[in-house]
Amino acid sequence: MTGQNPPGLPGRYRVRRVSGVISTDDLIAGRHKHSTTDAAALAQHLLEDRMPGFAATVRTGDAIVADAIFGIGSSREQAVSALLAAGIRLVIAPAYGRIFFRNCWNLGLPAIDGCAKFPLAEGDELEVDLSTGRLWARGNCWHFGAVPREMLQLLDAGGLLPYIQKMDLTHGFT
Amino acid sequence: MTPLVEQIMSSHRVAGEIRPGRLATVRVDRIYIQDGNAPTVARLFQEFGFDRILYPERVGVFFDHSVLSPTAAISTRLREAEQFARAHGLHVLRGGEGISHIVAAEAGWFEPGSLIVGTDSHTCTGGVTQSLALGLGASDVVGAMVTGWVWVRVPETVWVRTVGRPGPHTTAKDVMLFLLSRHAHDTFLYRSMQWCGDWVESLSPDAAATLANMAVECGAKCVFLPPGPGRTEGLQPIRPPADAGPVVDLDITGLPPYVARPGLPQDAVELDLCAGQPLQYVFVGTCTNGRLEDIAAVAAVVEGRRLHDSVHLVVTPGSRQIYLDCLRLGYLETLVRAGAVVSPPGCGACVGTQGTIPADGDHVLTTMNRNFKGRMGNPNAKIWLASPSVAAHAALLGRIPRTSELE
Repeated sequence: MTGQNPPGLPGRYRVRRVSGVISTDDLIAGRHKHSTTDAAALAQHLLEDRMPGFAATVRTGDAIVADAIFGIGSSREQAVSALLAAGIRLVIAPAYGRIFFRNCWNLGLPAIDGCAKFPLAEGDELEVDLSTGRLWARGNCWHFGAVPREMLQLLDAGGLLPYIQKMDLTHGFT
Repeated sequence: MTPLVEQIMSSHRVAGEIRPGRLATVRVDRIYIQDGNAPTVARLFQEFGFDRILYPERVGVFFDHSVLSPTAAISTRLREAEQFARAHGLHVLRGGEGISHIVAAEAGWFEPGSLIVGTDSHTCTGGVTQSLALGLGASDVVGAMVTGWVWVRVPETVWVRTVGRPGPHTTAKDVMLFLLSRHAHDTFLYRSMQWCGDWVESLSPDAAATLANMAVECGAKCVFLPPGPGRTEGLQPIRPPADAGPVVDLDITGLPPYVARPGLPQDAVELDLCAGQPLQYVFVGTCTNGRLEDIAAVAAVVEGRRLHDSVHLVVTPGSRQIYLDCLRLGYLETLVRAGAVVSPPGCGACVGTQGTIPADGDHVLTTMNRNFKGRMGNPNAKIWLASPSVAAHAALLGRIPRTSELE
C-alpha cells in the first residue's frame, strides 16, 4: 500500500501537481473552517475555489507537488488536517508559509522544501527517505535537505501532541 | 545590538541553542486563541485527554471573527469554544470586545521583551511594542497551554531601513504594499524583520501597528518596530550594526499611494495605475486598519458628503474602546449620515464568516491585509487592498480614485 510506511522511513507516493501560489485560504476557506471541527468534513472542500473537483480525486498516499510557495497566510491548522483527511501524506514545494510548515510537522504531515527543480509530473510515483533527504522518481534520485532529528521524532510520535503525551511533558517547566 | 528575536528567545530559553537556523524550545508568557480555532483547540483537548492548563490566567479566548454569527453551525462551534474556555477558567472576551490583536495591545499584553503566542497569523502585530508575538496553529497552542513552551526555529534577522519620506497621501499601509511589491517572501520568509529609519520612527502607534500587522504577508516569522512618538516606554532603539545581516534600504521618497490588485497582497502597484476601476463595496476595518486613526481618516473624507449610489460601505471599529472613541468624537455619526453601515467591533467582513459577503462579480476595495480568492466568502468577487483614505475616496466616487483626487 502506498504512503503507509511509518513516518521517517522511505514511503511511496503518487504525485499531484498544484500550480501557483497557494494560501491556506485556498486550501480551506474560512467559511468552512469556522463551521466544523471535523477534518473529514473539511476535506471535501480542499482547494475547492482554486481546483474545483480536486478533492474528490485524492487517494490516500497522494503527495502534493507545488511549483510555488505553498500555504501562505492564515495560521489555520485545518488546512493541514483537511489535507491529511483527504489522504495527502507528503507535500513538496519550493517554499512554505512559515506557520503552515510548522502545522504540517505538528500534525505528522512531512513537508519538504527547496524542491523547485524536481521534474515531477501528475501521476508519477515517487519515494522519499526523509532521514537521508533523498527522493526517487522516474529512475532518478534527487537530494533535498535532510530532515532534522527533532522533526523526525515529532513525525515518529505522530505529531506534536502525541509527542507531548508520549514524553509526558504536561507538567511544564520549572 | 543582538537582534531582538534572539534576545527574547534567549531570555525565554528552555532548551537548545539560540542561533539562527537552530531548533530550540522557549517559554511562553501569554497565549490567546480566536474563535475560528478555539473549537479545534477544545476538540484537541478532548481527543488527547489533556485536562490541565498550566496558567489559565494567562490565556485569553477572543470571539472576534463571527461576532454576528451567520449560521447555526458557526454559532454552535462558538458555544463549544465558550464552554471550554469557561470550564478551564480562561479569560473570555466575548463578541463585541474587538479583534484579539487590538484588544491584547490595549490591555498591555504585548510587553516589550515578552513572548506571546496566538492562534492567528496576525499575532505578529505585537511586534509594534517589541514583543515576540508568534502566530501558530491550534496544536502548537494546545502544546503551549499544557507544557508552557513552544518549539521554534531561530530566525535570521533582516533590517528594513526606510530612506526619505513618502508623498502627502501615502500612509503606513501604502508603504507596506510597496514593500510587498518589491520584497516579499524571497527576502523575509522565516525571518525576523526589524524596522528602522526616520520615517518609521515618526509614525503614530496606530500607523506603526499597521506595519507590524502585515509582516506575515511578507512571510516573516516576527517583526519589531523602533520607539516613536506616543509608543510604549522601554522600547530599544533599532540600528543595524556594522556586521548586520541583510539590510533592505527602502527608498520611499515621494512614494505615491499603493493598491494591491485582486489575488495576492504583493501584486501591488501605484494607485494611479488602477484608478477608474468601478467598485460596488468598500470595507474599512480589521487588525490592519481598524484603529481610531484609520476611522478618523475615513470620517474626515466623507464628512458632509454622501457615498456614491453604487457603493456599500461597511466600517468596523477594531475594538469596543475604538468604537466608543469614534462615538465620542462624532466619527460614527459622520459615517452613518454619509450612508455607511457600521458593524460591531471585531474582524468584520474580512474572512467571510460574517457579513457582508460580496456578490458574484463584485469589486471590493478594502483596508484588509489579504485579497486571496474567496477571502471574504465569495470566490467570484475581486478584492483590492488600500489605505483607509483611499477607501474613503473610493466610497464617495464609486471607483478607485486618482492620487490627484485625494485630499
